[in-house]
Amino acid sequence: MATSTLPTQLSAQLTTHLTSNSLPPAPAWLSKFLAATRPSTPLPALQRTALFRLLASDITTSLSATSSHVLPADIHSAQIRERLVEGPVVVQVLDIEDVGRSCWSQVEAIEAGERGETTRGREVIRVVPSEDGEDPSSTSTSVASASLSSGPHKLLLQDARGTRVFGLEISAVDKIGLGMDIGAKLVLRGVLVARGCLLLEPKSVKVLGGKVEAWHSAWKEGRKEVLMEKARMGERV
Amino acid sequence: MQTWSTKSSALQKSPPSPKPSPTIWEAAMYQQSRNAPGLPWLKNYEFPYTFPAPWGSCTVCMTSVAGHLNSQDFDPRFRSWQSCNPGELFDAPIVTYVDKDKTAIAKNIEQQARYATALFIWTDCDREGEHIGTEIRDIALAVNARLDVRRARFSNIERAHVIQAARNPIPLDERQANAVSARIELDLRIGASFTRMQTLSLKPMVEHLQELKVISYGSCQFPTLGFVVERYFRVKNFVPETFWSIKVMHRQDDIDVKFTWRRNHLFDRMAVVILYERCLVAKAAKVVKMQKKPTRKWKPLPLTTVELQKMGSRYLRMDSQRVMKIAEDLYTKGWISYPRTETDQFDKGMDLRALVSKQTPSQAWGAFASNLLAGAFNAPRAGRNNDKAHPPIHPVNFVAPTALTDEERRVYEFVVRRFLACCSEDAQGESTTVEILYGAETFHTHGLIVLARNYLDVYPYDKWESSQQLPAFHMSEVFVPTEAKMTEGQTSPPGYLTEPELIGLMDANGIGTDATMAEHIAKIKERSYVETRSRSGRTNATDDADTSNAAARGGRGGRGGRGRGRGASTTTAGRPSTASNSTMQEFIPTTLGVALVEGYDALGFEPSLSKPFLRKEMERAMKAICAGSTTRREVVQQSLEQYREVFARTTVRIEVLKASFRKYVLGQNG
Repeated sequence: MATSTLPTQLSAQLTTHLTSNSLPPAPAWLSKFLAATRPSTPLPALQRTALFRLLASDITTSLSATSSHVLPADIHSAQIRERLVEGPVVVQVLDIEDVGRSCWSQVEAIEAGERGETTRGREVIRVVPSEDGEDPSSTSTSVASASLSSGPHKLLLQDARGTRVFGLEISAVDKIGLGMDIGAKLVLRGVLVARGCLLLEPKSVKVLGGKVEAWHSAWKEGRKEVLMEKARMGERV
Repeated sequence: MQTWSTKSSALQKSPPSPKPSPTIWEAAMYQQSRNAPGLPWLKNYEFPYTFPAPWGSCTVCMTSVAGHLNSQDFDPRFRSWQSCNPGELFDAPIVTYVDKDKTAIAKNIEQQARYATALFIWTDCDREGEHIGTEIRDIALAVNARLDVRRARFSNIERAHVIQAARNPIPLDERQANAVSARIELDLRIGASFTRMQTLSLKPMVEHLQELKVISYGSCQFPTLGFVVERYFRVKNFVPETFWSIKVMHRQDDIDVKFTWRRNHLFDRMAVVILYERCLVAKAAKVVKMQKKPTRKWKPLPLTTVELQKMGSRYLRMDSQRVMKIAEDLYTKGWISYPRTETDQFDKGMDLRALVSKQTPSQAWGAFASNLLAGAFNAPRAGRNNDKAHPPIHPVNFVAPTALTDEERRVYEFVVRRFLACCSEDAQGESTTVEILYGAETFHTHGLIVLARNYLDVYPYDKWESSQQLPAFHMSEVFVPTEAKMTEGQTSPPGYLTEPELIGLMDANGIGTDATMAEHIAKIKERSYVETRSRSGRTNATDDADTSNAAARGGRGGRGGRGRGRGASTTTAGRPSTASNSTMQEFIPTTLGVALVEGYDALGFEPSLSKPFLRKEMERAMKAICAGSTTRREVVQQSLEQYREVFARTTVRIEVLKASFRKYVLGQNG
């Protein structure tokens, strides 16, 4: 028989665990989470499930917006040439683009992927869907995006309070690329901010992963359209 | 015992050339010739030769063919365009017959075979050669069933090699011949059915606008056209975009050194502004890498057909078909070797020095050739391809420029210079790389000093020149750059497809062979699917991968170190008679070409006939027949099934093609 734990005690234990993973849950989110779980579930399993759910959630509602875990209110100030945000701050990825390549060249690559083609040097290669019935469009886009994501990348990030800010990958960070999922969570520690833009480097960024399914599919769906529009605008914002 | 041998002319892959010239045995031995009846160039050479047992001492009669002896066509009932539904051509009986202009050759073979004891076939050792071999065999066996039939396995016509091959005959490879016969049948059925169907249903729509004989389909023609159309739309749809960069300049020792940003340029202004500011704030830059190393520019590989065609349109002011025509003339006259080859390695047994020595009388490159013989000779690089039939293209004899036409002179000169360059040494130099860290950004500059031009002296088609001298920088040296600027630029569209690019695409995607690529290109011009025009001004803007980054290429090999710089060049080899800024032809599809490709793409077949994939599959199938993993029957059946399906769906939805014609050719909407 499982040791019965008082709900308040359990919630405290989970909060401690999640906070130690830089993800302090919002009390409302946690009680809703607990209400939907069986009380007999062992603690380690609960911890894992809670962490997984948090990574798949929108942090503006799921995380507690305590000041130590969010970006400073004046983060956008263009007056500040450089400052350090100690953090740890959790942010989620709302958008990502490769600013090392023109939008149009990325549109061309996506269209080649839609035709089921990719190129190796001068050779046009047909991307044939794999035997296990995998969606051909997903294979082709992953092939295409892996080859075209050279970076640096510019990310639109959002903290638990809902503040949106750009992050620029000033040196290549593992797991940051066009292959990453929208809604993925990052933890920032000691991150430099210049003129209101976060400067992302391996030493200041930890990619926790996660994905908000609805956002991701909307992003993927609309990406070609967005790129075409940007290319035609002549300048990106 | 009389052994009767035959060989194909080496010209077997080029049907239009009527005069095969003696190559194989003539190079090896001297013999008497007698004219064979019927054709002025057809000769029978007779000489005694002793083979190993069981043939032993023989009287040999050597003759030649000129490519395939047989032709294939549909049964007469199906030949008229009105005779049947084009779809019936997938099953219509095919008759094989000896074409009119080949009957004299076939008769000669019959005549000689009647009294012979053995037939020794010397056709090229490739698929086509094997197939021609079986055609010769079948004609001979029909009149003399007791013939002992063998073939020679050889890869070049060097004397010792030919004798070696003569002593070790092998059986004909039925599989390779079958692969070719599968290809012939498929090309005929698919080509004819689609061509008739397209012509019958689409020609009436556009006849009032332009005169067209046929609207042809070919499994190589269409992908070739597809490449041209694809590029056309890339140019047409292109959207220019702004990018930003950071340029750093530093003046030291009275030299202005320009440093290039490692990120080159970014397409986000905010990002560049932020990074630029961080450079300025840092004030000083630090040298983080200072590297000097020997480098070299590699001499070219031995010359193949594809390379000759590409270079021809780039430097010799002629299209690929013209280059091949001239090269064939030069070959027939005995000045250069057989110009249809995929081989980019010289056989070890070839006496290259002897070939070099033939070039010493030249005013232009004689001194360079003499210098090679005096010790500067270096074995050519070996590429990865060997068609086992022909050596790389090289000069066979010296000919005075006055004895050649202007075009012949240009092609001959190129072949000779390429060959001498192959026998020379790589160009040697010293490259310097300086890298600085400025803020968090890295910038670099390169310097090159050419120490010995070597092969470049005879090969002006390559460029490799010393850059500006770099001042002395030291590792960890800190300086404040004289100038740092943020700059702005715009992307520009790619150019229309040039002939070298098109050949490169066809080559990489298995469309046609070295022997037929130029024909396919000529065909889509002849059919009014594409037009060419001179690209003025800029030359090879998009296809410079071969010649750029010379320093990087040299460094990669790690072959430096043995540079023994000869100082400044000692031999000059004259100016070539080519304009290096020659205009190149570029391809633009006609409305007809666009309508066809867009029409087929709109039909939505996977994959579309305008793509190279179906052709590539056919090539794979032929290789499988050669390997024995499938049979001719299976391949033909399978391919026909596939195309029959496409054919049926095309006929049902012909409206889609017609709509494309209305849109692009007639300029109507929808």
